[in-house]
Amino acid sequence: MIDYYDWPGGREAMLRFGPADGPVVLVAMPFWEEANRTRAVAVAMLRRLADRGIGGALPDWPGTGESLIATEQASIMQWRDAHQAAAEALGDRPCYAVSIRGGALIDGFALLAGRWHLTPMTGEAVLRDVIRVRAAAGLRGDEHGVFGAESPVRVAGNRVSPHFLAGLAGAEPYDQPGVPRRVVRLGHDRAPADRTIDAVPPWRRAEPQEDPELAALLADDIAEWIASCEG
Amino acid sequence: MEVQASKDVVATVRGVLADVLGLSPERVAGFDAETPLFGALPELDSMAVAGVLTELEDRLGILIEDDEVDGEMLETFGQLVAFADAKARA
Repeated sequence: MIDYYDWPGGREAMLRFGPADGPVVLVAMPFWEEANRTRAVAVAMLRRLADRGIGGALPDWPGTGESLIATEQASIMQWRDAHQAAAEALGDRPCYAVSIRGGALIDGFALLAGRWHLTPMTGEAVLRDVIRVRAAAGLRGDEHGVFGAESPVRVAGNRVSPHFLAGLAGAEPYDQPGVPRRVVRLGHDRAPADRTIDAVPPWRRAEPQEDPELAALLADDIAEWIASCEG
Repeated sequence: MEVQASKDVVATVRGVLADVLGLSPERVAGFDAETPLFGALPELDSMAVAGVLTELEDRLGILIEDDEVDGEMLETFGQLVAFADAKARA
């Protein structure tokens, strides 16, 4: 079902899955092109969660998807505000963040029952990827160029505001004291995690691909974790 | 021409290309030193190049500086393996 939510800067679309009450997960996708590559797996994961009686919400952020705001106008602070507004729009159900990659940098404002992070990244790691993609595109990607640019910075086909990139500096995934957090990683990632699943990260795939096995593994992990949180 | 590098590195580079570019293992197994990559594989766009480099870092425990990234190291399978092998030995 296509729903929407209002945030201080406007109205954005939000895909809804599963039952209208009980626990619900609010998905924060990875940034830019990685979101396109990850979407099929995320949607399959939300459908599987719905089968298990857990609601799901997949919002557009300002400047993504169907948003009327230009990508280059978006800032990470807007996305944090939008995430908070999307969580509030879900009502007083227990809301759990399911944040993927850079998405783990925008779920800090909402009142959440827990945070489930898939391969969370620091802002520095996102910036490093941006510089690398630009280097690969044959563009000059030194720090001065990224931060000093007057015009939007092109990152794999997306026009990204320098303000957005500046907002990433020093950003860390939020681990709120007293609120459950679980970290899951994929593939050969050796960073600390509660669980590492042997699978190809969908955001690395050059072409978006279905991966029903991975979607099921992630959904089952989330469902069991939520069950343990709900106690 | 045969690829001159440690078997682990060759296998790792094949695995990374298969996973990141979504190529079949059979197709990647057929790559030799002369197989062209950059410019020849439409899947190898800038995101994919970044993904290949990051996966190589993770799997080989190496660090690739961005100023080392150029078209030459990605021109053929043999050149990519040679680059990764030199890094893994350093």
